[in-house]
Amino acid sequence: MLLLQLLINGLQVGALYALIAVGFSLIFGSTKVFHFAHGSTFTIAAYVFYYLYSVAQMHWVLAILAATVAAVLFGVLLDRFVYAPIQLHEGSFFTVFVASFGIGIVVQNLIGIIFGRSFVSVSTSLSQSIEVASGLFVSPLSGIAIVIAGLFFWGLQFFLMRTHVGMGLRALSENPELIRAYGLSPRRLSTIVFALGSLLVVPAAILSAASTGLNPAIGHHVMLISLAATIVGGVGSLRGAACAGLMLGMAENLALLYFEPQWSEAITFIVLFLFILFRPSGFFGRAITS
Amino acid sequence: MLAYLLNLATLICINAVLAITLNFIMGYAGIFSLSHAIFFGVGAYTAAFFATHYSASLFLAMPVAMVVAGLLSLVLALPALRVRGEYFVAASLGLQVLGVTVFSEWKSVTGGLGGVIGIPPVELFGYAVTDPTQFFLLALACLIPVLLITSALLRSSFGRNLKAIRDSESAAHAFGKNVAAIKTLSVVVSSALAAVAGTLYAFYLGFINVESFMLDTSVLLMAMVIIGGTGTLLGPIVGAVLLMLLPSLFSYMSFLPQTEIGAIQQIAYGVVMVLLMIYRPGGIVGSGKRSQA
Repeated sequence: MLLLQLLINGLQVGALYALIAVGFSLIFGSTKVFHFAHGSTFTIAAYVFYYLYSVAQMHWVLAILAATVAAVLFGVLLDRFVYAPIQLHEGSFFTVFVASFGIGIVVQNLIGIIFGRSFVSVSTSLSQSIEVASGLFVSPLSGIAIVIAGLFFWGLQFFLMRTHVGMGLRALSENPELIRAYGLSPRRLSTIVFALGSLLVVPAAILSAASTGLNPAIGHHVMLISLAATIVGGVGSLRGAACAGLMLGMAENLALLYFEPQWSEAITFIVLFLFILFRPSGFFGRAITS
Repeated sequence: MLAYLLNLATLICINAVLAITLNFIMGYAGIFSLSHAIFFGVGAYTAAFFATHYSASLFLAMPVAMVVAGLLSLVLALPALRVRGEYFVAASLGLQVLGVTVFSEWKSVTGGLGGVIGIPPVELFGYAVTDPTQFFLLALACLIPVLLITSALLRSSFGRNLKAIRDSESAAHAFGKNVAAIKTLSVVVSSALAAVAGTLYAFYLGFINVESFMLDTSVLLMAMVIIGGTGTLLGPIVGAVLLMLLPSLFSYMSFLPQTEIGAIQQIAYGVVMVLLMIYRPGGIVGSGKRSQA
């Protein structure tokens, strides 16, 4: 029974990790920006939702909309005012990474000052767990998380494969020069990628706020996971990132059978290490899109 | 006031040692490690363990700490050095997370979250150094050889090999250089010298716990090197001095809420990191344009 419980928890957490990792992987794969502040986007969306829904008592639809706007705006503005100027004069991935890391530090501390450093959680009628069998607790949120993750992937897949902009994005990751030759603007496409990638963390942020709760340092954890999932899945492969996210969520939960909870983050990295050692190209090699 | 200044100066020396050793691999070999705090920690815990169980003599505790940190880095560097760029950043980040978990769980050696208390004062030729002025001189006396050793290494053929690897790993390889051996050796040297700082830190405070060796410390060290200027001799020292002075500067601004000082400091150095990367990626000491790293 414990195994089944952990499997269900792992599936829920994994679905959310997959959403986060796909957003990161989409941005990294197509713009080559090592967007470490992706975790900050998550924190911002989660705290905006928490504040509007739990503290200001707004309707949940409004709270979700506001969280989405905040996340997308944050991603796009970062791309415009931090990454773009750096990429103008400097190609090294490390310079972008340092700036991104700096942003992460700033956001984490600002959130800490505004909302306090302790744990907060959003309670909804959906977060209550129901005992479906003796010793097996499932909350409606697990189902919602899995369905939403599926819907978002399908939507993203459709967008990348069927729309003009989506095809432009796939071309961007392969050859930015060619994009310019065809009269498309890499800058504009980059904005779209950041908007999309940031959008993908919103459901994960809201569902985490409602299920496990938040603290300002959660962005770090989210970032570690997306980074690990991107590498384990194979850089540039969205399908790989999604599978790896799911796997890491499962591994983290199933590890509870044998290890104390404080080792869960370490487990993620043992998986990462094994991949780096034995299969550095990840699950699905270095394919650029899905 | 004098005690306060001496304390600050001693901590600056310790951090400067760490920044110099991180710059040694980051600025010259292009190995962007986010786990330097772990080797600092290994040095500190080893020295603390040795001092509380065997002897507090600097000439015994420090070499032991250096050897342990160097050997451990050898074991860890071998697999991680097979990958580069973003993969190495991820691997070192993983190492940092793992290290913190081990530090806080291996209670018999590290004292868990409570840390190691009652580390005896360091002994030099049987004389216990307790006076802050003397300890500062000791820290300075450690900083200078570390600086000399790293700069001597960088001027030697070994240093030229490192730079060759940083600029083009494949070219260095094609030229018949044993890239893996050179990288591994540089990581071992850097980690062993980071243990010098760890030893000083453990003896200076007389108390250590895992809080000093977390990701924040690794990032702070990285910020010191980057803000000062990667790949320059003076850069890490300038960075260490600046980032260590920043907190005291903020505590003098009485209009800031006292409880938020820590967060405000962090925000300040986050902002500085971002602005430098946009306007001056070479750091304060470096030239405006950063060389390929």
